[in-house]
Amino acid sequence: MKRILFAVAATLLLGLLSGCGYNTMQANEEAVIAAWGNVESAYQRRNDLIPNLVEVVKGYAKHEADTFKAVTEARARVGSMQLSKEAINDPAALSKFQQNQGELSSALSRLMVVAERYPDLKANQNFLDLQKQLEGTENRINVARERYNATVQVFNTSIRTFPNSLTNSLLLHLKRKEPFKAEEGAKVAPKVKF
Amino acid sequence: MSARYTAVILRQFRTLLIAALLSVGLGLPALALEAPALKGRVNDYGGMLSPEAARTLEKQLAAFEQETTTQVVLLTVPSLEGDVIESFAIRVADAWKIGQKDKGNGVMLILAKKERKIRIEVGTGLQGVLPDITAGQIIRNVMAPSLKAGDNDRGIAAGLSAIMDATKGEFKATPADKKTAKKKKNSPYTLFIVLLVVGVVIVAVVGSSSRTAGTLAGGVALPLAAGVGLGAALWKLGLLAVLGAVAGFLISLLMRLFNASGGGGGSGWGGGPTIFYGGGGGGSSSSDDSFSGGGGDFDGGGASDDY
Repeated sequence: MKRILFAVAATLLLGLLSGCGYNTMQANEEAVIAAWGNVESAYQRRNDLIPNLVEVVKGYAKHEADTFKAVTEARARVGSMQLSKEAINDPAALSKFQQNQGELSSALSRLMVVAERYPDLKANQNFLDLQKQLEGTENRINVARERYNATVQVFNTSIRTFPNSLTNSLLLHLKRKEPFKAEEGAKVAPKVKF
Repeated sequence: MSARYTAVILRQFRTLLIAALLSVGLGLPALALEAPALKGRVNDYGGMLSPEAARTLEKQLAAFEQETTTQVVLLTVPSLEGDVIESFAIRVADAWKIGQKDKGNGVMLILAKKERKIRIEVGTGLQGVLPDITAGQIIRNVMAPSLKAGDNDRGIAAGLSAIMDATKGEFKATPADKKTAKKKKNSPYTLFIVLLVVGVVIVAVVGSSSRTAGTLAGGVALPLAAGVGLGAALWKLGLLAVLGAVAGFLISLLMRLFNASGGGGGSGWGGGPTIFYGGGGGGSSSSDDSFSGGGGDFDGGGASDDY
């Protein structure tokens, strides 16, 4: 009789272990971290592009010092904040990151508006190429952010639903991750307008 | 004039609504135009190509994949219906998964007829040879002039061949790739064997009750299996009918001996014939020239422009 009870208890425990979502939650968190990596590299790509872009525009529009300064400063601010992987667990850090990147975005679009005023610049092949690169990068950022949000949603759901929620509160203590919020005055188009 | 203003106001209102929805949701794509079904390498939903051009391009792109494993597909749509081409493109990319898995070597050329927009969406494995700059140049310098002049056939063909030229050197089909491609084509052979086995089982079932029925079943089953599975010629089928009948007779004899010695269970196979016909019909129609994405990855790289 005792043996039967033991067998039943062991089976139940085994079932609980595989059904408790321990592994699922870990896997989901890894997916969030990987998606975050893509977000960061997409933003980094934009950061690397900016000096070239500013250089080319400067060649044609020498008198727009304020605009250049705004872009350079915004870029410096973004560059100075080193985000570790921990940032995805910290809503404040993420919102700071988003704010800084948003400022850089608007500084960049002002730069592009300035560029619009110089027909010679707009005809410059080098500028056209850089513009395409910037557009592509902005689109990559958009895609990476959307995918990040999707993985965050899966992860957050997985730690909040039963029985995973129980396992998490007892064993894993994983925190809810923050998704990206839509930008101020949410623009549908990811591209820089000219 | 006023009609146009109403349209503008309506559009403004729609954008506002989208913005509101966006800020509530998790940045989900607005006014999601659904990804159409992948028909082949040329998906001319916008009706921008002449039938001959579409056929030629389909062949060219198929040959290119044979040679390089790189998948290049064309999609034209009549209208984006308010969607943004970049977000539409990535949605199609996620749905179609053009390019081979782990290589990410897929490229999609997308045209929206009404909005006069082009996008080249480049898979992650090809962004080294086809960077955004090159994609932009292909649109601007290779495609736009012909499209502006109204020569869609030429513009699209030139764009696709520029894409192929740029990506040619990056991946080569290995003998293993070619073998798997060939194996796919030879699938009727395996179909024949499967049909043959099923046929033998049916003959055995039928034959265990009556020798004549078994002979008859054999005479029908063998040529049918050969006809469906291998596409054998008619005169061969006649010969096979005789052969099958003999085999059916022998199997029936064997089954009788088997049953007499006490082995039962033949009656459980009653559902056989329907499986036989159903399986044969389905297999022959779908094993032909089908095309699907290989699981390629996209990250939003590429370029778009108006024409």
